[in-house]
Amino acid sequence: MRIVAAAGAAAVFAAGVALAAAPPPLPLLRPPGMASPADFAARCVRCGRCLEACPYQAIHAAPLNAGRAASTPFVNARAQACRLCRDFPCAAVCPTGALAVPEERAGAAMGTAVVNEETCLSFQGMRCEVCYRACPLIDEAIRIDYRPREGDAIHAVFAPQVNAEVCPGCGLCEQRCPVGDPAPAIVVVPTGADEAAYLALRNDAV
Amino acid sequence: MELTRRSFVKSTAVALASAAAAGTLAGCSSLAGTGSAAASGEGVKTVGVCRFCGCGCGVIVEAKDGKVVSVTGDPENGSSRGLNCVKGYYLARALYGEDRLTVPLIRDDKATKGTASGLREATWDEALDLVATKLRDTWKADKSRLAFWGSGQQPIVEGYCTAKFWKAGLLSNNIDPNARLCMASAVVGFMNVFQTDEPAGCYADIDETDVFVTWGANMAEAHPMLYSRLTARKLADSAVRHYDVTTMTTRTSASADKVLTFRPGSDIAIANAIANYLIVNDKYDHAFVADHVQFKQGTENIGNATDDGYDKSEIGQAVDNVEPITFEAFATRLAPYTLEYASELSGVPAEDIQELAEVFADKSRRVLSLWTMGVNQHNRGTWMNHCIYNIHLLTGRYALPGDGAFSLTGQPTACGTAREVGTFSHRLPADLVVKNPDHRRYTEAVWDLPNGYLDAIEKPGYHTVKMFRELSKGNIDFLWSAHNNWAVSMPNLTRFLGKGDLTGVNDAFICVAEVYPTLSTQYADVVLPAAMWVEREGAFGNGERRTAVFEKAVDAPGEAKWDLWMLMEIAKRVLAGEQIGGEDAFDHLFGAWYDAETAAFKGTDREVCASIWEEYRTFSNPDLNPDAAAINAEAKLKMEAKQLAPYEEYIHNHGLTWPVREVDGQWLPTLWRFCDGKQEDGFDQYGIEAYGESGLAGGVSFYKSADKRPSVVFRPWEPPAEEPSEEYPFWFCTGRLLEHWHTGSMTRRVPELDRALPEALLDMNPADCERLGVTDGDRVRVTSRFGTCDITVSTAGRTRPPAGMVFAPFFAEETLVNLVVQDTYCPLSKEPDFKKTCVSIEKIEG
Repeated sequence: MRIVAAAGAAAVFAAGVALAAAPPPLPLLRPPGMASPADFAARCVRCGRCLEACPYQAIHAAPLNAGRAASTPFVNARAQACRLCRDFPCAAVCPTGALAVPEERAGAAMGTAVVNEETCLSFQGMRCEVCYRACPLIDEAIRIDYRPREGDAIHAVFAPQVNAEVCPGCGLCEQRCPVGDPAPAIVVVPTGADEAAYLALRNDAV
Repeated sequence: MELTRRSFVKSTAVALASAAAAGTLAGCSSLAGTGSAAASGEGVKTVGVCRFCGCGCGVIVEAKDGKVVSVTGDPENGSSRGLNCVKGYYLARALYGEDRLTVPLIRDDKATKGTASGLREATWDEALDLVATKLRDTWKADKSRLAFWGSGQQPIVEGYCTAKFWKAGLLSNNIDPNARLCMASAVVGFMNVFQTDEPAGCYADIDETDVFVTWGANMAEAHPMLYSRLTARKLADSAVRHYDVTTMTTRTSASADKVLTFRPGSDIAIANAIANYLIVNDKYDHAFVADHVQFKQGTENIGNATDDGYDKSEIGQAVDNVEPITFEAFATRLAPYTLEYASELSGVPAEDIQELAEVFADKSRRVLSLWTMGVNQHNRGTWMNHCIYNIHLLTGRYALPGDGAFSLTGQPTACGTAREVGTFSHRLPADLVVKNPDHRRYTEAVWDLPNGYLDAIEKPGYHTVKMFRELSKGNIDFLWSAHNNWAVSMPNLTRFLGKGDLTGVNDAFICVAEVYPTLSTQYADVVLPAAMWVEREGAFGNGERRTAVFEKAVDAPGEAKWDLWMLMEIAKRVLAGEQIGGEDAFDHLFGAWYDAETAAFKGTDREVCASIWEEYRTFSNPDLNPDAAAINAEAKLKMEAKQLAPYEEYIHNHGLTWPVREVDGQWLPTLWRFCDGKQEDGFDQYGIEAYGESGLAGGVSFYKSADKRPSVVFRPWEPPAEEPSEEYPFWFCTGRLLEHWHTGSMTRRVPELDRALPEALLDMNPADCERLGVTDGDRVRVTSRFGTCDITVSTAGRTRPPAGMVFAPFFAEETLVNLVVQDTYCPLSKEPDFKKTCVSIEKIEG
């Protein structure tokens, strides 16, 4: 009965990665613990040890057509998000310091989740908030802003709000979001990426 | 223009409103023919009600090319006025899982039970003949060995016909619904206190109250849209307060100004301390008590119904006994429940209990208690229902707008079918019970049975836990289940599924009517593929007494059939050659609606539903049947108190709350029962005129209660059935979460919902994790003295159990938490305690 949606999303992501081969490159969502995209790019030796260490098989090697990013590790959050293991086994095995074990889970520095208020069911007054309840840092990285619903005395809007200061960008919200058309209503923008450009590309890719 | 979901909802509302204005609502199915739908190129829209929880949100169903393409909130439905939760939003997808059952299935080799294989395709005739033969053989050999397990999700007319077949056709009371697992304690509470099974209030109480008190209720997840309503009320007025009385912090605690976290099972001590405080400090409502209340006490030290022999034991047979006492005696009984004593038992600071007591004492503010499974699924569930009413009756806060005690119901038609129709082992329709001779006479009148015919079912049959215990012991030869998934939802599955010895389940002949393969179909000898939700017409009755019809929107897939058709086909075979009052038994019971010869209904779904409804409605409209009217008058049954309207009214009005009164040719609903005021404003004008008294304290009159006085019954705190020990040091609480409906047989087939919550997790307190050396994501084995399951730990904090307690949802069949859960039940209601099994937890290495 388990419905595996990962394959489709991975294919979609591969398309995105393929696009990354052309300039400007699409930033990838990196495993937890990089200092900065530039530092990561300089240190990562594509050894694949973080891939092997991940207990959730969430880390993949970018395909060969990804240009300079080929074979570097990335997370396709929609298919399988980072689960923010408390001991960060992926970063712990990194031999070069491209990934370093963060002091706390909020410091994973993968990216920041962004809610699409147009497609988010919660913003339309539905009781959804799946992203919020799925968030490993519930009430910290994502909290609910309870709002009156205009012209409606018997429903409130449960608006998910991402705290960019805390959100580590693990992507569990993106993985769990029940909206899929044209893209999840909450998407993690990788650290260093241009938010608008990245979101546009994600929407177009699907 | 991009059509957003919101604008689509609006356009739906406009389309409906214009259709209504044009006077085309002779059945909203006529929306199908309205120009707006056809011209816009959209599909055909019909009116319905959500398939899932007890909120009963109205929906508009859009179908195109024979397929439901969207489900949106119905702005015209008085319970919800538009919008859904995410389950309702994706409701259409629940119909289209890849493995819908579309052909009858038969199991030839019982050795394959408990596996996913062993079922072969069959014709309807073969399957029906087999089921009917087994049922008839069992019936003729020993009636005590047959059983029907129904549901608070079985639509109303099907429940009605099933009860009629079982009780009048088979003269058997071995019929009970899964509502026994969720609402039974509330029901017995209602009957003991008010002698009528119904909430006096309605959802609009949420809009009018000043203080919410949630008792053992995670509304934010289990009643999503009602919690939205609670939140809207709180946002509208910053003075509104919420007290969350709970055993663990949940998403519902988010809106609470104060969370009172009590030790499991100690809620009765808290409620009694509040009642005691109100009396000792003279802060109760003297006039209300004088006008409306009688005091009682009942049997105490009632032990626990863990073993089979409990019901028949001396104490088990005495649990319903009560005796009148004076107010002074009641006060004396309460006296030991000081704030300090309650604090000692519960772990809640005495000043917090006092603060809550002062909330009830402050008559300048309205207070609304809301509760669900924490109260009902409780070894003293009936008693805890009593204790909440005690507080509200002492303070004059019942049956008044915004000032009341409201038992939230779990399933979409637990009220409408299980309770109102009476698909329980001890009930007849409309609050009537089998053991009362006047009630049997009245039912005989409506069902046109010979005088005394139902005396054969004077004795109640097996309640749910008893039914499955007998099944596991090999004492049930025939079981038919529909609209439920007992192999996942029953507590102590380890016992019911035979502890590895499947003799009882294997030997019994089990018929399961289903829409998808489930663990229950794995134990079935025959699987009957059922039409689902809007693949047929039906009706639900939700938590606020609102009856609502869902119209047929599409045909069922393959050979799947309406459950009512299955019932007719099996009933006609089983009753072949039998007679009632000199007439063919089947024709006598069902001939008005079904032609046995042609195996077809005598009319459309709509006509059949309306006609069955008309007979059912006679129970609450005795004037439709002279014999019934005479018995009603003579025995003072007050059957009109729960008056239902003609069928079409429910469609025109997108649902109505009963009692529905005919005033100048219009059928007007009632929102506030027993509360004096104009019917057109939603008050119980005609009920009070007929049976009640005006001018009493609070402007209410409890005319259904004995002597028009509800009972305040002293109920002592008694400990849980088991408490944490060295061997089993944790409390284990189970429940429902927002994304999935019950056992997940429907919602887990919706890809979006499965994605949203793909697995059941064990929420644990971080301190416990540290002590046990487990961490978020670890697999652990949970073991009680009943059984074992393996599950993944979460410390993310969706629910935050205190140290010493863990929580898991029950939707996941691969986790099957009910292997672990005790089947100890409240001795009065026979509802199991799913909230406090004691368990050990050990890390699974590797």
